[in-house]
Amino acid sequence: MDENIGQKSSFSIASSIQKIYEEKYKQLLIIPFALLLIAFVFIGYKFAATGEIINKDISLKGGITVTVLTQQEVNLLDVKKSLYSKFPENDIAAKSITRFGAQSGLIIEADIRQEQSAAIIEELGKILNKKLLPHDYAVEIVGSSLGKSFFKELIIALVIAFVFMALVVFISFRTFIPSIAVLLAAFSDMIVTLAIVNILDIEISAAGIAAFLMLIGYSVDTDILLSTRVLKRKEESEMDRIYGAIKTGLMMSATAIVAAIAALLVSQSEVIRQIMLILLIGLLIDLINTWIQNVGILRFYLERKSRKHQHELQG
Amino acid sequence: MNYKAKQIIKNVRVVIFLVLLVLAIVSISPRPWVDGVAIRSVVSNSAALESGIQQPSPTLSPVNRERILEINNEPIKTVENYYGFVNTLRINQSIQIKTNKKLYRLTVREHIDTIELNETEKKVIDEIVTINETVNNSIVQTNKTIKKIIDVPKTRQISKGVEDIGIRVFKAPKTNIRKGLDLQGGTRVLLQPEKILDAQDLQTLIDNMGERLNVYGLSDLIIRDASDLIGNQYILVEIAGATEEEIRNLLAEQGKFEAQIANKTVFVGGKDIVFVCRSADCAGIDPSSGCTQSAGQDICRFRFSISITPEAAQRQADITRNIPVAGENNRYLIEPLELYLDDKKVDELSIGVELQGSATTEIQISGSGTGSSQQQAIFSALDNMKKLQTVLITGSLPIKLNIVKIDAISPLLGEEFLRNAITAAISALAVVSAVIFARYRRFVISIPIVIVSTSEIILLLGLAALIGWNIDLAAIAGIIITVGTGVNHQIVITDETLRGEKFAANWGERIKRAFSIIMTSYFTVVVALIPLIFAGAGLLKGFAIITILGASIGVFISRPVFARVIEILLRN
Repeated sequence: MDENIGQKSSFSIASSIQKIYEEKYKQLLIIPFALLLIAFVFIGYKFAATGEIINKDISLKGGITVTVLTQQEVNLLDVKKSLYSKFPENDIAAKSITRFGAQSGLIIEADIRQEQSAAIIEELGKILNKKLLPHDYAVEIVGSSLGKSFFKELIIALVIAFVFMALVVFISFRTFIPSIAVLLAAFSDMIVTLAIVNILDIEISAAGIAAFLMLIGYSVDTDILLSTRVLKRKEESEMDRIYGAIKTGLMMSATAIVAAIAALLVSQSEVIRQIMLILLIGLLIDLINTWIQNVGILRFYLERKSRKHQHELQG
Repeated sequence: MNYKAKQIIKNVRVVIFLVLLVLAIVSISPRPWVDGVAIRSVVSNSAALESGIQQPSPTLSPVNRERILEINNEPIKTVENYYGFVNTLRINQSIQIKTNKKLYRLTVREHIDTIELNETEKKVIDEIVTINETVNNSIVQTNKTIKKIIDVPKTRQISKGVEDIGIRVFKAPKTNIRKGLDLQGGTRVLLQPEKILDAQDLQTLIDNMGERLNVYGLSDLIIRDASDLIGNQYILVEIAGATEEEIRNLLAEQGKFEAQIANKTVFVGGKDIVFVCRSADCAGIDPSSGCTQSAGQDICRFRFSISITPEAAQRQADITRNIPVAGENNRYLIEPLELYLDDKKVDELSIGVELQGSATTEIQISGSGTGSSQQQAIFSALDNMKKLQTVLITGSLPIKLNIVKIDAISPLLGEEFLRNAITAAISALAVVSAVIFARYRRFVISIPIVIVSTSEIILLLGLAALIGWNIDLAAIAGIIITVGTGVNHQIVITDETLRGEKFAANWGERIKRAFSIIMTSYFTVVVALIPLIFAGAGLLKGFAIITILGASIGVFISRPVFARVIEILLRN
């Protein structure tokens, strides 16, 4: 008996959600737009405070990254403190590499100059109580001017990519508002993801910016699916076509999300981890931007179109 | 079911797909049974090179690299095995190296360093001179050998123990997939010229560096122009298996070469030298003076000819015109021609009196090498000759290069990263498969998706192996993403097909609908990644290219096959 009631109540919750989703789509648009606005405020605040819109890592601001794989349990704070005592003028970060939750290595980042790279590696060796030989570690040294130009370039690449993508979308749909809806969804995905990445205090590397680029590709996938189904198909009711798109689209997002989570959990490589983390956040945000924002705008557009159509018929 | 299987096998698309898959596997040519070590490079003038072991060609595919199987009948299975064995070698020990190609015999040499002392000693050398003689009232030139005593700095030879036999090895590759630097270990340096060069100068610079680094016995070397979108010029140097320090040292040796007479520059390397002879007819051990013995030391002289530009020849003439003649027989000028490398004097050559004031463009450069036996002296002379030739050919780099980025990855770490990245990719594929099984609950749908996704990875790796593209960490991220989009597209195809069932649209129409969605999303991914090929000094090029290739393979090869297979399987 009890079970039945439970089912019934959950059914009624689901149906009321469904009702809101179907009928109040204009009001629901507030959610994605509010998110976008909040994201802009956060990014704007960050820009006002630091002059930067992202936290750049060493590959974009210059400095050194040393990666050591070690089974030795080390306290990151201690490592950071003792390195800081030797290089007091520099910004030093110590991160651990984890694999299935266990520490398997160490990443040291410092904004020091090239000439000091040997010194910091030696110092790190002292902390780990062994002499670090070249085959024990990986080191990446980036000049600061290079980092700056990398950043500038990747941003240019991102803008060009977005413009290209916009062209493809316009050519494919040939209608203004639905195309704009797709672009807005992709744009919102990037902005909101960037704000979340900033809030999580993640330092973005060159590979991370590549991930934002990928996000353009991934996020428009579901939008294209939605728009194609809704605009180019005629068989079912509009709402049924949307539900059909949701069914396929959620499946697409689900596979991408689980793949990203798996890679994120298993991988020790900062490159892969960062790409996957940004994709993961973006894909989650994309659920809102596709199924609320893009759907809302599309329905709004279709409603206006059919009203116009009726008007014309009447006239 | 049997009927359907037959239909699938007979389908033209499926046949093409299977053929391509086989070709991809052939191109990857996995050889899991291969162990041992492969030869990465052979150091020039080493015992190994003398014994006939070939410097591997950089275009050789990884599994065709020469592999060392045994040394002195002891199997060599790992890199540690090899270096462990090499460390036990004694001077003059004969060893046999058995590779998968040949058996080589070589003798371990002694590493001898010659240091110059602050004293000079007298040395008697044989020299052939051309003198004018009057025979029958006409002047003819004849060659005569004369003994000559010259002052040379006293040298002492110190043994530094066993000389390295000169083979660099790495773990033998089991497939033809070329691993990027971050997966196999090595060093990558990004250099920026101090000022912007035009395309030709930049190419010359890159050629010079290539030549110079090659002379140091490095294969697995990539030097390329990495100029970017906003007009920055970079040169990317990647050397597999080299440490950061080694590369820094090598680049530091990219010095400038200058020849001076009486502190005046006559010619500089690269610019003024038009030709350096390296063929046997005009370079090698000097046949006229050959080898001599003195104070228990063997000395061999080498010579080679170079051509300098007329301008440099004229400078030479102008400078030497007023230099007095000295030496016995008045055969040499009082000031020698001094060769400087990086402002350090590396050699000094006497200038024959016949060159005084004449603008000769052909110059004979000579020098010597010493050793405790004649053979050693020959080696040493040839070694010195080669170094000098390289310096003269490549000359000074026209511009100073700043190191703007260095990445050094140890081979051990690279291996760990690779293993880990493969685990990550397999886990991603596994969970995606699980989600698909959970959603469709029909093996006829989920099994083809898993098979097609796996074969997309194989096709992509096969293509990468074929075109010699390196797979690095970013490329692996690209592969994971490709599989992700691939699965998405197959979901679209499946759902369109299933929807079509409901609305009784014909098969062709359903597939067409699915592909209209897929093609749009494919083009957005491709155009989004194109700018990345050119941005950021090409460091993310691998990621962009692999992802674009993967998406293209999927859209044009494997996903149409999937659509056809699903059609056959689902049709009643």
